[in-house]
Amino acid sequence: MAGAFGWNTSFPSMKGYNIIGKINMTVIKTNNNGQQKRFFLNKPIYFWVRLILGIIFALASIDKIIHPAAFAKAVYNYQILPDTLINLTAIILPWLELILGIFLILGLWLPGAVLLSNILLVTFFGALVFNLVRGLDIQCGCFIISQETTSNLSMCWYVIRDGIFLLLGLYLLSHIFSGKRKALTTSMKNQL
Amino acid sequence: MFWQTGAIIFLAVALGIVVNEIRPDRLPLVADWSMEAQLNVESGQNITISLDRAKRSFFSQKAVFLDSRPPEHYELGHIQGAQNFPWEGFEKYFDTVMADIPQDALIITYCDGISCTWSKDLALELFFRGYDNVRVLVNGWSLWVEHQLPIDEGL
Repeated sequence: MAGAFGWNTSFPSMKGYNIIGKINMTVIKTNNNGQQKRFFLNKPIYFWVRLILGIIFALASIDKIIHPAAFAKAVYNYQILPDTLINLTAIILPWLELILGIFLILGLWLPGAVLLSNILLVTFFGALVFNLVRGLDIQCGCFIISQETTSNLSMCWYVIRDGIFLLLGLYLLSHIFSGKRKALTTSMKNQL
Repeated sequence: MFWQTGAIIFLAVALGIVVNEIRPDRLPLVADWSMEAQLNVESGQNITISLDRAKRSFFSQKAVFLDSRPPEHYELGHIQGAQNFPWEGFEKYFDTVMADIPQDALIITYCDGISCTWSKDLALELFFRGYDNVRVLVNGWSLWVEHQLPIDEGL
């Protein structure tokens, strides 16, 4: 019944209105919910991966933006960048993460956003593995003296977590490139 | 693709720098992150201690050594007689560890690694709480072991 007067009626110009022309909010709400459900259920895995990665980037940036000094210290603890770049990184990187998060969620400038996300994820993953191998705990910038300490276990957990994020990023990148390749092949066929 | 990447980077740089300039807790764009610079207290005094001075204080028993690493690190080995005061758990350990240490005592904090921040954070917090004679032996554990100075092992 509800569907008969909602967004999917055969009278597109009457969306949200009942037969006598009054707005029927219940009908609109019910149909919006149904449509939203279909909207999300019909989305491909690519959409969900993009959404998850976008949310991760956006959420990760918020605390860093609020507490730049604490983030600068975290950058210092990685012991990779020269002193002159630590504050600049702490000032700019969180905003880059936030913009990438928003662009991934909204689907804006996707090729560029996905490429840049992957560059960041590879850098983060590489920095973690590098420090794990050389035995540096990124919580404090100090040496890990035993393989069994909790700091080493937490480092391993970070590597696994960032590895999963990187896999998500690589999936998006492969999707973008395969899409571009298909589009190129189709246009070449059409030209022939 | 590449112009989008460039534009996103430009946007992030612009936003980051502009927001940093207008916020009250702004960071300087470039700062001195050397451990020496980090260990300058407000009066301009530097609270690092050299290995030689720390060694002399150790043998004359004029200093209290505080190991700022977590207990599992401390238990594997520490400077002989040092007490464990993990920086990550400061409030928990403060009353117990500092109960018998007078405010004017020479306190030497250490952890492991040139860039290790635990000993620095511990020393600065103690300094802030009125322990004016606190010092940091930067890279303390490694230096101590390297120079084959007395340690307690595997407690």
